Amino acid sequence: MSTSTPTKSRARVGALEILVGLLVIALIFRWQFTELFASPAIQTGATLFVSIVVQALPFLVLGVALSGAIAAFVPASFWHKVLPKNPALAVPVAGAAGVVLPGCECASVPIAGGLMRKGVTPAAALAFLLSAPAINPIVIASTFVAFPGQPEVALARFVASLIAAVIMGWLWLKFGKGEWLRLPKRGVHETGSKWKSFRLTAGHDFLQAGGFLVVGALVAAILNVAVPRDIVDAVASNPWISVLALAILAVLLCMCSEADAFVAASFTSFSNTAKLAFMVVGPMVDIKLIAMQGGWFSRSFVLRFAPVTFVVAVLCAVAVGWWLL
Amino acid sequence: MDKDAPQQQGSEQSKTKGLGFGVMSREVQSIMLILVGGAIIRISLTDIFLRYVKPVMQPYLIVAGAFLLLLGVWALVDQIRRGSSHDEHDHDDDEFDDGHGHGPMRAAWFLLLPVFAIVLVAPPALGAYSAEKDTQTVAAPSDDLFPPLPDTDPIPLSLNEYAIRAVWDDQRSLAGRNVELIGFVTPNPDGGWWLSRMTMACCAGDATATKIHVVDPPEYEANTWVKLDGHWVPGGGVNSDSAIPWIAINSIHEVPQPKEPYE
Repeated sequence: MSTSTPTKSRARVGALEILVGLLVIALIFRWQFTELFASPAIQTGATLFVSIVVQALPFLVLGVALSGAIAAFVPASFWHKVLPKNPALAVPVAGAAGVVLPGCECASVPIAGGLMRKGVTPAAALAFLLSAPAINPIVIASTFVAFPGQPEVALARFVASLIAAVIMGWLWLKFGKGEWLRLPKRGVHETGSKWKSFRLTAGHDFLQAGGFLVVGALVAAILNVAVPRDIVDAVASNPWISVLALAILAVLLCMCSEADAFVAASFTSFSNTAKLAFMVVGPMVDIKLIAMQGGWFSRSFVLRFAPVTFVVAVLCAVAVGWWLL
Repeated sequence: MDKDAPQQQGSEQSKTKGLGFGVMSREVQSIMLILVGGAIIRISLTDIFLRYVKPVMQPYLIVAGAFLLLLGVWALVDQIRRGSSHDEHDHDDDEFDDGHGHGPMRAAWFLLLPVFAIVLVAPPALGAYSAEKDTQTVAAPSDDLFPPLPDTDPIPLSLNEYAIRAVWDDQRSLAGRNVELIGFVTPNPDGGWWLSRMTMACCAGDATATKIHVVDPPEYEANTWVKLDGHWVPGGGVNSDSAIPWIAINSIHEVPQPKEPYE
């Protein structure tokens, strides 16, 4: 045994060895690690990073539990019954179905993936992916609270988000290619009992989406600490640039859709249309979502999908803002 | 038994061959779930989670952590049981290869970062660094009527409440009253310091600062928590959401950081 082990470990370093190695390193260098965090900037970044991850985790867990349950317990025939046969009709129905999911964007990525695995038209699943985090009751209620005396802001958010999601679904139907979506193989988790399939799907989905959530939170925390606020404030003065600026800021900040209305409301120097753009773009496109979708659906998917979604969301926000606000 | 062990390793190797460096095996996936779930439960059972999120999140965090923990333990038990019965190893391969070309489970390694950050460092609540960077916004109240202040002397107030009344209350309900504020010291680059407190909309990621200019401040280090008994004095501007209101000190002393560092 003592002779065979070294040759084998040289031949291959397994995941378990890596994990143990990392844990040991972390324990040995614990104090150096802590000292590094004495600098206020790094400390603040670390706090922001941990808080974004911790805040998003329960929603992510809700999402993977739902996606696991969809995979394990909801027969594929259910979706064929609920959604119209015609994909062009299924898109708005799926988009409007986003109303019933009380979650944020972290939860909707695994759920949309789960829907596609079950054979739901990708266009309809994508419309659901985009609309669910933006138009569910919790988000609309928080928007209503964040803009006291201005119920039209919450209404505008609902309308603009739903329109943008449906347009994206239809665009996918017309121009999308199935090869851009590389979903986990169907049937892999469907061996054995339903509970086993639930466990495998939920665990797999959590590790997958969680890893990318961490990457997004890391980028957001670094940007938050590194980009001076006065640069952002300087942009607010121009109405057109301000819309674009808040839309881009939404992409960079990776806010949870259940919280972004309060942040949007705090940009007091910006127009309501610019704030609307922030709230429509945020749940649909941000760094964390790009990372999650890239890992989930493939890089070639997200390179096409995210920029188009950004443009469509901004245009919808401007149009609806001009109409309602 | 000794003869068994290397054989096990051998089959482990053939199982992971071709997956490339860093791809997570099933066992490690289960351990990751346990680590993340354990870390979340660990901070939500103590006050540490209050540095990052609102108190209402506690039950959700515990449930989420327990769910992950359970998922991990369940998977691990299953794997150990199956591992000892010497079969299904080849079947396990399918579960890695889920159709992604670029090593799907590699990203999951990043989950170690928050686990390390939480367990080893547990970064403190946001303080003077963020408060100084943040531009003050005292949002206008939705209606102009402020409820009467309680009759106690001094009146314990949140910094936010003090700032809103100082900036937006035309009736000047603060005039002639003593108030008691608890906050931390944020050095003002132009001299002196602000009494400050962070407010979370959702989590610390979107926290904003409330700052109050202290007239004739004694020396304190940045991030020192103080209880300030004082009274309102005009200054800093009114009816503007970027106003930083003033306060004069009656008495002041150091206090430990409150359980809930945010307002």
